[in-house]
Amino acid sequence: MSRPHANIEEAAIGWIIRMRDPAFAGWDAFTLWLEEDPVHAAIYDELALADADAADVLAETEPVKPEPVAPPPPPRDPIPANDDKPERPRWATRRSMVGWAMAASLLGVASYTSLMPGSSPYAVETLAGQRQSVTLADGSRIDLNGATRLMLDRENPRFARLERGEALFSVVHDARRPFTVETGGATLVDAGTAFNVIRLDGMTEVSVSEGVVIYNPKVEKVTLAAGKVLRALDADGQIRVGNIDAGSVAAWKQGRLIYEGTPLSAVAADLSRNLGFGVTAGRDVAARPFSGVIQIEGDRERVRQRVSAVLGVPVDQAGGGWRLGADAAR
Amino acid sequence: MTANGLEAVFLGNRDVLLRFLRARGGGDAAEDLLQELWLRASSADAGPIAEPLSYLYRIANNLMLDRHRSSVRAQRRDQDWSDSAGGTVPGVSDEPSAERALIARERLREAEAALAALGDRAATVFRRYRIEGVSQRDIAADLGISLSAVEKDLQKAYRAMIDLRRRDDAD
Repeated sequence: MSRPHANIEEAAIGWIIRMRDPAFAGWDAFTLWLEEDPVHAAIYDELALADADAADVLAETEPVKPEPVAPPPPPRDPIPANDDKPERPRWATRRSMVGWAMAASLLGVASYTSLMPGSSPYAVETLAGQRQSVTLADGSRIDLNGATRLMLDRENPRFARLERGEALFSVVHDARRPFTVETGGATLVDAGTAFNVIRLDGMTEVSVSEGVVIYNPKVEKVTLAAGKVLRALDADGQIRVGNIDAGSVAAWKQGRLIYEGTPLSAVAADLSRNLGFGVTAGRDVAARPFSGVIQIEGDRERVRQRVSAVLGVPVDQAGGGWRLGADAAR
Repeated sequence: MTANGLEAVFLGNRDVLLRFLRARGGGDAAEDLLQELWLRASSADAGPIAEPLSYLYRIANNLMLDRHRSSVRAQRRDQDWSDSAGGTVPGVSDEPSAERALIARERLREAEAALAALGDRAATVFRRYRIEGVSQRDIAADLGISLSAVEKDLQKAYRAMIDLRRRDDAD
C-alpha cells in the first residue's frame, strides 16, 4: 500500500498514543501541529477512529473479574477517556472495570480487599510542578504535590492510596473509623493527624506533623508520633525511623517541586511558573530526565545555585531569567 | 474543582479552546462547537478534576472525533444505499444479526492474529497500555525494558491495529 502521507500518519499515531495517557498535557503543541496543515486534522481523525474501533474489538476479549453481588457503579476517571462515547456505554463500563481490576491486582491482596467490594474508586492526578487539594466527604483534606497520583473511593471517604508522588493528609479524626492510606504495599492508619507521604522510586517516606500514625498495623506496627519520619526502601525491606522538625513536614506547600523522570524542558517550565521569571532549557539538556526534589524558597541567587547543584547542569543568567545547560534554548 | 471553578477555567480559556476547535477541523462552526463543548463539560459528573483545562481539551477532542464518526457513518449509509439500489452488495446495516456476530468474531480473530504477529512483548505492551490503561512508565518497569522500547512497541502495534481497521473499512 502506498502512503502519500507516511510522515503525517506517523506523527498522528504519536499523538494518539500520547493522548491515551490521562496525564497528557501537550494540547498547545497538538494545536500547533494541527495548524501546520489542515490535512493533519483529517488524518488524525481517520486514524483516531480506526484506533477506537480496534480497541473496541479487542476489549471484548479481556478477562473480566466476576462482578460483586451488588455491582458498584462503574468507576469513573476524572478525565474523560478518548473513546468515552454515549453510543457505547457497555464498552466504557467494561473497560473501566478491567482497568481497575488490573491496577488492583498489581498492587497485591491488601489493596485489592480494601477497595473491591462496593467500592467506587477514582483517581486524582497532578502533573509535575502543579498542585491540587481535595476535600473529602468527611472534611479531611489532601494536598497533592506535583507528579502525584492518588486513588480515592467515593464509597469510603476514609481511604486513600498514594500510587506515586507526595501528598499531605490533614485528617479529621474519628476513633471508630480510622483513616487508612495505602502506599508501596504498606498501610498507614491515622490516629488524629496531619502527615505527609512520599512514594517515589521504590521508597516510601512518612513524616508526621500532628497526632499519631501507625505504619503497617498488622505487620511491623510502627507508631509514629509528631516529629517522627519513617523511611522504607522496597529493596531491603528495612524501616528506619528518624526525627524531623514537625513544622517543616509540609514544606513543599511553601515551595518544593518534586519530579520523577521529567525532562529538564518541563522542569524549566515549572520553575518559570513558580519563580515568576523565564527559565529555559538549552538544547544540550532539554531532554535529560530529572528525578528528585527542588527547593525553590529563598534568595534568588541561592536558589539558582541550589537548582544548578540538584539538576547537575549550569544555570546561567540569560535575559531577565535563567538558562539551564550550556546551549541556547530551542 | 467545583462547577464554578470549571466554568471559570472555561471562560478564561475560551480563546485557546476556540483556536483548538478551529485547528481540529471545526472551521466556521467553531463557536457553536464551543457551546456544545461547554454543555458536555458541565453536564458530566466527573468528580474532582485535577487538570480542568486538559479536561476541557479532551472533551473538545472527543467532540470532534464524534462528529467525524457520524459523518463517516452517514457517508457509508449513502454508499450502502446506492450499492443496494444498484443491485450489488447488500448494505452492512441490513445484515442479519447472526451474520454481524460472525463478522465481529472474524474481526477479533484478525486483530488477535495481527497482534500475535508483532511478537509477545509488543502485543503485551499494547494490551496493557491501550486496553488496560497502564502507564508507559509502569509497563517499562514491570517488563524490565526501557521507556523507549515501550514507545517503539506502541508505535508498531498502533500502526498494525490501525492499518487492520482501515483495510476492513475499505472492504
